[in-house]
Amino acid sequence: MKYLDIAIETALAQGAGYADIRIQRDTSQVIYLLNRSIKYAVNDVEHGYGIRVFKGGAWGFAHCNRFDDRTVADTARRACEIAALSAKVKKGAGLTLAPERSYIATYKTPVAIDPFDISMREKVDLMLEVNRTMLNYDGIRQAVFYLIIHKCEKLFASTLGTRLDLTTQLVDPMITATAVWEGDSQSRTFDEGGRATGWEWIQALDLTDKAKQIAEEALIKVKADTLGEEQRRTLILDPNHLGLTMHESVGHPTELDRVLGWEADFAGISFATPEKLGNYQYGSPIVNFMGDNTLAEGLATNAFDDDGVPAQKWFIIKDGILKEYGSTRDTAPQIGLAHSRGCNRATSYYNMPINRIPNLYLQPGKEPLTPAEMIAATDDGVYIQGRGSFSIDQHRINFQFGGDFFWEIKDGKLVRPLKKVLYKSCNPEFWNACDAICDERFFRPFGVINCGKGQPGQTGRMTHGAAPARFRNIRVGGSQ
Amino acid sequence: MNAQQILEYIKQHCTADDWTITINEKDSHETRFAQNSITQHIAGSNIEVALQVSFGDKTGVGNINQTDAESIKNLIETAETMAKLNQPDPEFMPSCPAADLPQVLNRSEATLQLAPQEMVELVRQSIANGEKHPAQVSGMTEKHRYYSILCTSNGFYGECESTEFGHSMTMKKDAVETKVAYSGKDYARFDLNQWLDQLNSQFNSLSAPHVFEPERIAVILRPAAVQEFIGYMGWMMSRRYADEGITPYTDKLGTDFFGSNFSMVSTLKDDELYASPYFHGGIPSVEFDWVKRGSLFTLPTDRFWAKKTGSSPSTSYNLFIPGDGVSEEEMMKKAGRGIIINNFWYIRTVDMKSGEFTGMTRDGVLYFEDGIIRHAINNLRWNEIPHEATRRILASGVPILTSPDTKVPAMLIADFNFVDKTDF
Repeated sequence: MKYLDIAIETALAQGAGYADIRIQRDTSQVIYLLNRSIKYAVNDVEHGYGIRVFKGGAWGFAHCNRFDDRTVADTARRACEIAALSAKVKKGAGLTLAPERSYIATYKTPVAIDPFDISMREKVDLMLEVNRTMLNYDGIRQAVFYLIIHKCEKLFASTLGTRLDLTTQLVDPMITATAVWEGDSQSRTFDEGGRATGWEWIQALDLTDKAKQIAEEALIKVKADTLGEEQRRTLILDPNHLGLTMHESVGHPTELDRVLGWEADFAGISFATPEKLGNYQYGSPIVNFMGDNTLAEGLATNAFDDDGVPAQKWFIIKDGILKEYGSTRDTAPQIGLAHSRGCNRATSYYNMPINRIPNLYLQPGKEPLTPAEMIAATDDGVYIQGRGSFSIDQHRINFQFGGDFFWEIKDGKLVRPLKKVLYKSCNPEFWNACDAICDERFFRPFGVINCGKGQPGQTGRMTHGAAPARFRNIRVGGSQ
Repeated sequence: MNAQQILEYIKQHCTADDWTITINEKDSHETRFAQNSITQHIAGSNIEVALQVSFGDKTGVGNINQTDAESIKNLIETAETMAKLNQPDPEFMPSCPAADLPQVLNRSEATLQLAPQEMVELVRQSIANGEKHPAQVSGMTEKHRYYSILCTSNGFYGECESTEFGHSMTMKKDAVETKVAYSGKDYARFDLNQWLDQLNSQFNSLSAPHVFEPERIAVILRPAAVQEFIGYMGWMMSRRYADEGITPYTDKLGTDFFGSNFSMVSTLKDDELYASPYFHGGIPSVEFDWVKRGSLFTLPTDRFWAKKTGSSPSTSYNLFIPGDGVSEEEMMKKAGRGIIINNFWYIRTVDMKSGEFTGMTRDGVLYFEDGIIRHAINNLRWNEIPHEATRRILASGVPILTSPDTKVPAMLIADFNFVDKTDF
């Protein structure tokens, strides 16, 4: 496309040390059904380009939604002017970029049935059936179905000679049943956080059956007991719950821009500082976390990031020890890394890419272990399913999590459902308390489509995964 | 096409029974800095054209950011196709009719005229101040211009231009970390030196923090913390959710559900506050009392729920909490012993029905005893029910602008429920 060349040639003529252009078209369809009322059925198309210029050790970024030769060139010149302004306020010689070579490549998320080819009528009929199923239960006061389908098409070119044509897609159904009973209300949600795949996943899910399950569990939950006073207990966490726990307590602390303090003003920094690399006992020896932007159906899976760096798979924590971070071309050299791990991603064309959590998962246990065997080997604890309340400090040390569904475990059995359960822990206590992880047969991926970070704010997407895991001696109790 | 040409094109070509057009333009410049250096620097403009249509009570919406005739034609086709293929909405509401709108001034010439070079100079001075300590400074300087139009087939037409300027600074050295932030519509009301003085004062007060174990104790929430604390509570304040039994506000309208020292309004009368002249697709903004001296007066209500319940639509288009003008020194004397909190972080719902939230302190915590600040302490986690906490308000200060649409005072609250601490 000629605009790629115009941007690159203009930036070079203005003295750019490095420049890239990302022409991005995001197409999304969002349908929000509250009970039987379609509150929102929208088709959204956002198309434009962002030009990033690195000059004199500093960045400039300009974006525009108008496509013509002169405007593209003007936008490139504006990015150069901004870079020159940035260079007036820098430390020493400013930033450097990790080396990278050029690539010419194409990537598309494997999709069997494109969700955009499914008619609005078919989607709404399915959603109405799901909500009717939930509302048919006496005591279910509110049913919500939120469906998101999204396609991101990018053309990327850089002064390194890279030319990329990248298309990623995702689909994300989320359903919630809220029960009201004797002065209390409790909800139960089916939400796997989205997957980079097609409508075939929706067909395989049997959402009407899921609706029955969550409606029944919402009714169980609203009538359940609370746990009472906080005590040290054993926790068994399901993969969906662990997805959010690892996102907050491992994913964010190992983003290199946070480690460097680049997010200090808003999202926060990290306790996992560079002197801890290779020697910090982040978790017990069975804890192994992979960064993996090649993961099948992963929301961060792509052939390249927005630096033009190829997708990679690497250990972030190995045998419990902090090994490496997720990094970008401008963060990696700050701690002497030779290459970026390919974690620079922008949400929309008008966003400057930032250091993002990759697809990040806890490797399953190496010994055969089923969830039933894990529960049978637990005398006194709580089993938590799904995601609930979550809060963590800005250094990523102290956290408190809830969940979506809870069972008390006594003498190796699930004895009664619970509600309003919270646990409190911190790094490194929590991951060092992990004493068992089920084997690979029970590994499940779960996506995050709404990871807020950056100024101005961006919404990132990535996939996490785990098999059920057990944690000993954690503070667990009921809310007020 | 420009905005008026887009409106005319859609009016001429849209075949739906009912339609609403929204056009939002945005032009921004954002200078982000961290660790005493500019790390990101962004400029650009955008436009969003949204068309909501209905055939009978079947609706569809299309959004685009391209404004050529072909794109607008596609937008109409997309929205109309979606509506035709949709199922009827049992809660459908037709678009709003013509209305007289209040006069609001959300535009600042000083903000519009602020040049990128001046923004970089603000950053440079902020970093130079930090280097004197010596400390690392991070933050963002930003300016925005917004312009929106809303037009319906039933005759509503409204437009609103607004500006926003923001400058935030986080200063960190070893365990000392604190932040100040200005965010308002008018750059002319911003005085960098005043904010640097506040930042330096906060920074200097936080050296050598002591370990403090969580307990129930009196707190002085400075205005930024009040905005976070009350703002999250506000998200739950929906008339529909209350009527459906989901939130704490069920059957509480008209009762003294909050503390008698607590009131909360949305107002068009404060020229510092941003106020949209209309909401919910074309309802004129008016004064709203949400809480009046402790009594739950109104809950935000959408158009459908208002029709169903025989009430009026309402929305919290801004937030103003009146105060008593009590100084921080007087509050410390009144409480005797307690802690001062600059800000909160990561507040999340714990339980929807009870209205319980959790969160962390941030940007510096101070312990006071015998009415005097003694020393800084570590950050703490709390679990609290904000509407219950308003019943424990002992005093409040002068309302301060904390964001373009929020103006709140500091508050002294007894027995705040801290449940955990963190290591910094």
